[in-house]
Amino acid sequence: MKRTFLGEFEELVLLTVAVLEEDAYGVSVTQALEDKTGRTVGFSTVHSTLQRLEEKGYVSSRMGGATAERGGRRKRFFTVTAFGRKALREVKQVREDLWSALSPAAMQLMGS
Amino acid sequence: MKHLSNYPKTQPPQWPARLLRLFADPVTAEEIEGDLLELHARWLKTGSRTRADRRYICNILKLIRPFAKHRQPADFHKPQTLSTAMIRNHFRIAFRNLFKSKGYSFINVSGLAVGMCCATLIFLMVLHETSYDLHQSRIGQIYRVETKNIQENHTYPGTYTGMANALRTDMHQAERVVPILKVSGTVAAADKLFKEAVVFADANLFETFDYQWISGRPVNAFSQPNTVILTRKYAEKYFGGTDVVGKTIRLDNKQDLTVAGVLEDYPSTTSFPFDILVSFPTIKNVNPDYDLNRWNGWNDNFQVFVLLQKGMSPEQLTGPFNGIIRKYMGNDQVANKRFKVSHLSTIHYSGNLGGRSANVSMLKTLSLIGLLVLLIACFNFINLSTAQAFKRAKEVGIRKAIGSNRRLLVYQFLTEAGLITLLAALFSVALSLLALPVMANALAIPLTTADLFTWQNLLFSGVLLILTTLLAGVYPAMRLSGMAPIWALKTNLIKPANQWFSMRQGLVVVQFTVSLVLISCAILINRQLDFFRKADLGFNKSAIITVGLPDNKPEKLQMLRQELLRSPQIRDASFSFNSASAESNWMQGIEYRTGPEVIQVKTQMKMADSHYLNTYGIKLLAGEPLSDSDTTDFKVLVNEVLLGRIGIKRPAQAIGERLYFGDGNEFATIKGVVKNFNVNSLHQKIDPTIIQVVPNNFYQAGLKLQDEHPSAESVQAALGHIEKTWTAAFPDQLFEYSFLDETLAQAYKAETRTASLIETATFLAVLIACMGLFGQATFSAEQRTKEIGVRKVMGASVRSIVSLLSKDFLKLVMIAFLVASPIAWYAMRLWLQNFEFHIQMAWWIFVASGVLMALIALLTVSFQSVRAARLDPVKSLRVE
Repeated sequence: MKRTFLGEFEELVLLTVAVLEEDAYGVSVTQALEDKTGRTVGFSTVHSTLQRLEEKGYVSSRMGGATAERGGRRKRFFTVTAFGRKALREVKQVREDLWSALSPAAMQLMGS
Repeated sequence: MKHLSNYPKTQPPQWPARLLRLFADPVTAEEIEGDLLELHARWLKTGSRTRADRRYICNILKLIRPFAKHRQPADFHKPQTLSTAMIRNHFRIAFRNLFKSKGYSFINVSGLAVGMCCATLIFLMVLHETSYDLHQSRIGQIYRVETKNIQENHTYPGTYTGMANALRTDMHQAERVVPILKVSGTVAAADKLFKEAVVFADANLFETFDYQWISGRPVNAFSQPNTVILTRKYAEKYFGGTDVVGKTIRLDNKQDLTVAGVLEDYPSTTSFPFDILVSFPTIKNVNPDYDLNRWNGWNDNFQVFVLLQKGMSPEQLTGPFNGIIRKYMGNDQVANKRFKVSHLSTIHYSGNLGGRSANVSMLKTLSLIGLLVLLIACFNFINLSTAQAFKRAKEVGIRKAIGSNRRLLVYQFLTEAGLITLLAALFSVALSLLALPVMANALAIPLTTADLFTWQNLLFSGVLLILTTLLAGVYPAMRLSGMAPIWALKTNLIKPANQWFSMRQGLVVVQFTVSLVLISCAILINRQLDFFRKADLGFNKSAIITVGLPDNKPEKLQMLRQELLRSPQIRDASFSFNSASAESNWMQGIEYRTGPEVIQVKTQMKMADSHYLNTYGIKLLAGEPLSDSDTTDFKVLVNEVLLGRIGIKRPAQAIGERLYFGDGNEFATIKGVVKNFNVNSLHQKIDPTIIQVVPNNFYQAGLKLQDEHPSAESVQAALGHIEKTWTAAFPDQLFEYSFLDETLAQAYKAETRTASLIETATFLAVLIACMGLFGQATFSAEQRTKEIGVRKVMGASVRSIVSLLSKDFLKLVMIAFLVASPIAWYAMRLWLQNFEFHIQMAWWIFVASGVLMALIALLTVSFQSVRAARLDPVKSLRVE
């Protein structure tokens, strides 16, 4: 099986897009990431990550309608593709496998 | 709302966004800009403005990726605007449309073909007329010496015969001096007689102008008397070959000339189309009286050309010319005469020895007419294409809906225009091939069909093709491609913006205006020509035959008259210098002296015998007619104009008055006064005229036939008798005759040509405009089929429907009439000023052409409107 490769930040962005559902666009994703992770996230980084995810086929995008806000410029909305969902599931699976492989003693050490 | 109104204050700096649009990936630029604006607003809320701005700028700078600009997004294909497949498609669609509406295509193609044919022919003509003499290799240095009479403010192309010698001795600036004398003579070659134009010139001619020798290079031989050089054409005409050096021809039955060489034929664009060149010294042998150092009186058939030294400008010759006047003519002539030189390239536009000259304003008028005819054809195309916009609306809508951009649509419609123009161009070539010989003949221009295929004309045709395509195609293409797809797809019933209609109407008005101006001009010119034919000239020009007189010894003439009058067909015979009205005249200054007062009058001299008045039907108002014995006592007749000039009111008072020739003591006594008759063509005023008996100057016999309107047989009989008598009197001479009315009509050749040109242009303009009108009428009848059906069902009569359909077009004719009449009036006023005697412009001419135009338009429209009106409403309502 071909291994899906998702970088850490890519994974976070992809997940955030999935969480935001219909409302995932550059600003909302940046905002959500900042809220959830508590770290300062550069918009430019998010933007390029979204572009890269789209190139890899994890997300698809469409232009929204023009509104009076933000100087009439349209938003580009992102949705996770089936391929993206599969990738997320795989990543999650890998994590869960790894977690479940932890010895109880090690689990204890991590405090959970 | 509040948010919006606050917005400008909180806006980030402009330049980063601009930078972004310039350099960032165009696909994502918009959303980045939007996102960052949104973020900026948010950052403003949480932090200071500087911080927000800095973050904004930082982010933008990070996102600028100049190299990403050209990346093609993977998920959608941007169509290439002009791929080969698309071009092929354009042509396919264009062909389909062409064949789908055959009627409109026919109108467009034939109209444009006629327009382009006109433009091409006129271009050829202008090209021909403007290329005279330009092929001469020394053109920069060749000038003609011209004589200006300061009093008359007129420059003559000829000069004094003494000028040639004067230039050789007194003007070192002239490298070569080329005197040319053109006369008409009788040439006898191989036992045949020919009436030819003969040119006397010396060897300098060949060193100044370009000539190509076929045999001999007899520059030295040509300085000898009695040598002649022929062109290839004439060598073949006389001897049947070009190997003719050493053979002889006989000039004027006096002098044998030896052929010293043969020249290649000259090109058609030369002002020196001389076929028989006789060496200059021969003049003395042919005409011993010819004075080669004459300084009083000159003739335009003697012209002097000079080859100036390199770098010499004509202005530098003023001084030397004044020196020549002083030396040869005396100091008192300096104020009266002036010599100047004209460059070779200008002599085609004034009198020249070639006999062909071009009228610049005529060429301009012609070019304008050609352009107008082409424009009318283009307007047809524009009108018919925009009128069909409804038909194409669905197509345009669907094309736009499936992603065609405007540029692509413009290309498509231009392809259609181009295809139609190309077809028209092909037809126009065929048309030109047919029309060129006719035009060349009618306008007496030496153009052949070979001229159609010169590179200049091919280039012109190419440019014309492109220009016509753009002229005809751009506006409809812009219009059709500019349709909003929603409108185009939703409904075709609503008329688009009102201005479409008025644009079309405007073009139709222009077409009608041009046609109307041309119709009015044609009517007026024809009336003026009619006036020329029927005007009362003061003498009777009908049934007069003129023949030349090679010899005018009184005894010989006496005998000739007796013999001539034996024929019952001939009423009278008169010997004279020229006819009552002629193109070349003898002008002389005379003086009338009453006490200390001297009145000078420039007078036309008519040398004629006692039969002159009777033969030409000139009325005597007072005094007695001339008798042949008046040679000795200088008794003369004068006309009324002369009396007016010298201030005598009643003709009877003039009898016995003396008129002095020049300022000398020789005088003539007035014996009688004749009623005014047109001594010149109707272009000019009637000159003061003296009729005097001077047998030495009788060169022509005028023979009045018995019958005013003779039958062909009686003319034949008379001519037979005249020829027999004449040949018996002058053996070894070539008998030639002409009819006076035909000779006089020659003076109006230019006007007759103008008339035929304007008539042709009028016909074409009206034809093309009507074809366009027909197309539009067809279209509007088609459009309103349903409406007409409903109207008929509701009880409308055929007449009311026809008038409904025709009304719109008649309105346009009315507007065109209002615009055209002043233009035509102005143009014709200018034209009529060319003539001293002309018709009055009458208002009815304009009304008549307006009515004519209206009738033609109505007739054109009625084909369609009557058909539409008579259509069974059941059928028309079932359409669709």
